[in-house]
Amino acid sequence: MPHELVTRREKDLQFEREALRWIPDVTRFALSLARNEADADDLVQETYLRAYRSWDQYQVGTECRGWLFTICRNVFLRTRRRESRQVTCDDPELEALAAAGVHAAAAQGGQADVFERIDLSDALERALDDLPEPFREAVVLVDVQDQSYDTAARVLGVPIGTVRSRLYRGRRVLQEALLEFARDAGFATGDADTGETGGRS
Amino acid sequence: MKPMLDCDAVMRQLWDYLDGELTEERVQAIREHVEICGRCHPQLEFERTFLGVLARVRREHSDPGRLRERVLSALREEGFAAGV
Repeated sequence: MPHELVTRREKDLQFEREALRWIPDVTRFALSLARNEADADDLVQETYLRAYRSWDQYQVGTECRGWLFTICRNVFLRTRRRESRQVTCDDPELEALAAAGVHAAAAQGGQADVFERIDLSDALERALDDLPEPFREAVVLVDVQDQSYDTAARVLGVPIGTVRSRLYRGRRVLQEALLEFARDAGFATGDADTGETGGRS
Repeated sequence: MKPMLDCDAVMRQLWDYLDGELTEERVQAIREHVEICGRCHPQLEFERTFLGVLARVRREHSDPGRLRERVLSALREEGFAAGV
């Protein structure tokens, strides 16, 4: 067999081994971006075509899944002819502190254990769909796809501090939406906890 | 002996702690605080449970086999010869 064909065959096997195994993950990411299956299918196909054409630029053994997510997001942004909206980059530590406010409000409203006591999966999916894109991308990558802050920063092309602030803001917005849903559904233990007992500071 | 962290310092890094983004030394310091703090411990549990619920929101494709075949078919048109 000519050397060129052998090389090609090796490349294809490598692509199969390293890239095709991530189709389920890329599909989930595409579904979260496109929000409907038909568009997600196009997105996944185009992602793999571009990855295959650029395979020579991929460094074997590096984070292939993150590389595929990056391509997927770029294809998505290009096909929608829009850039990711710039959002104000708040201080991530302030965002983290704001989370304490959500918990305090939940405790005061008798909802401290709301996430354990009622099934919020449908409400969460809707809240995730409603989340503005920059926050949704960060939440999906880190919380749903289990990526590190560093990988998410590379996929999104932003500094880690920006990932943190978008992620924390996104989580807070989701929590507020879920608590509102639970309140509307009449959920409250009626056993409100101020959450202030025994604090150290 | 290092002074223990206060609640404010813990709150600022709670998400990093839950996401496994801190050094082992910092993780240990936060763990020691949270174990005995009546304010931070409930919040940690609240956030941990929320993240657990969020991690289960995995939107699945209705027909992953068909999509995989579609991707392979498109790749074969590009000359891809594996994946069978």
